[in-house]
Amino acid sequence: MIGRSETFIRWALFGAVTLLLLLLQGFVLQFVTIWGVMPFLYPVLVAVLAMWEGSVPGAVYGLVLGLLCDLTLPGPIPCLYTLIFPLVGLFAAVLSKSWLPAGFWCSLVVSVLAFVLTDAAHVVLLAARGHAAWSAAALTAGKETLATLLFVPVVYLVFRSIHRLCHRDD
Amino acid sequence: MKDFLKRHGLWVLFAAAVIAVTVSVLSYFSNTSSPLANITGVITSPFRTAYTAVAGWFGDKQNYYEDNKALKKENAALKKQIAEMESQVRQAQTDSDENTRLRELLNLQEKNPDYQYETASITEHSSSNWTSSLTLNCGTNRDIAVNDCVITESGYLVGIVSQVGMNWCTVLTVLDTDTSLGAQVFRTGAIGLAQGDFNLMSEGTLKLGYLPARCSLLNGDLVVTSGLGGYYPAGLVIGSVDEVKMDDAGSTQYAVLKPSADLDSLKEVFIIKSFDSAN
Repeated sequence: MIGRSETFIRWALFGAVTLLLLLLQGFVLQFVTIWGVMPFLYPVLVAVLAMWEGSVPGAVYGLVLGLLCDLTLPGPIPCLYTLIFPLVGLFAAVLSKSWLPAGFWCSLVVSVLAFVLTDAAHVVLLAARGHAAWSAAALTAGKETLATLLFVPVVYLVFRSIHRLCHRDD
Repeated sequence: MKDFLKRHGLWVLFAAAVIAVTVSVLSYFSNTSSPLANITGVITSPFRTAYTAVAGWFGDKQNYYEDNKALKKENAALKKQIAEMESQVRQAQTDSDENTRLRELLNLQEKNPDYQYETASITEHSSSNWTSSLTLNCGTNRDIAVNDCVITESGYLVGIVSQVGMNWCTVLTVLDTDTSLGAQVFRTGAIGLAQGDFNLMSEGTLKLGYLPARCSLLNGDLVVTSGLGGYYPAGLVIGSVDEVKMDDAGSTQYAVLKPSADLDSLKEVFIIKSFDSAN
């Protein structure tokens, strides 16, 4: 029973923080352009959470957030983020388990990985629809990644706090 | 004291009477005050001055406090009045802008009596770096449907409705890579295809391609919707030619169009719900 309640509290906290960060995205970052692009927090949230929590929770979280993204954001196909974000979660978890220990540098690496996957999907879909704009797409992807990396420390610190709070006995 | 008064009382009384009579007589015959009154006045004068000064200082302080209090009250009232007036000015400005838009729409309505419009406010501009879209505050509750054209009050094409909810709809602007419209160069009548292009999207321009082989294009040429196929109304202004280029193979030319609608500053748009495709 204790395990269940801990799990509930942990995910309630993750949910609340996610909601706050989504509000930040919607109400603030939506109107901010850095190097001509808007920071896009969603892939970072999935990657950093998966880094701390592991592959299955990361993939499930990615699925939920991807679904939310697809329902609220216009996209080339209706399930782009639903397909990509669970993959982001899986890769981020595997990377943090086997290659780079979970920490700040790892969060930066998995965030870049998240953008590589998400933006690669965008580029492939653009090409599939006859808009092969490789250089412009690569430039947008690079700018979007850099603009969003500025916010990784915030996400990292918040998620680390929740992770440590709920894994004190580990 | 009792002995003194018994012994000298009469003398004291007499002296007092003499002094009184003398002062009275001197007062009567003198043009100035009596010496005694004068002496008394001289002695009390500094005290009177001091008293007056102190009373004046207190009076000043009291007046200052009262004035300050009154001024603060007046200041607060004036600030409130200014805020109200500024609010009225802002409202008047908004009303005036709306009035201008509606007047222009009225002209457009007169030119195109077959158009059925719906006014909508923009609730969100692009929410992704990979698309160019707007979210509007009306949907199926006001008979909005997918593929409805969205224009400004001047008749400039903004985009096409791509998704509709009950009280919202998403519009892909003319810049988005998923937007593709039959277009016509107004000056020459040449038909082409206006399409969003990811290379041009960040610059706020779009592409006019599939032009006839010997099509002559000039910078500033107006490009409108062709209306071919009856999907969209004809004659909606898409934009003007900004640059004429050759494709990568160097075989065909295309034009870079600058949209006539200022997509970044839009607040209110009009959705064409129905039109007569025969026109």
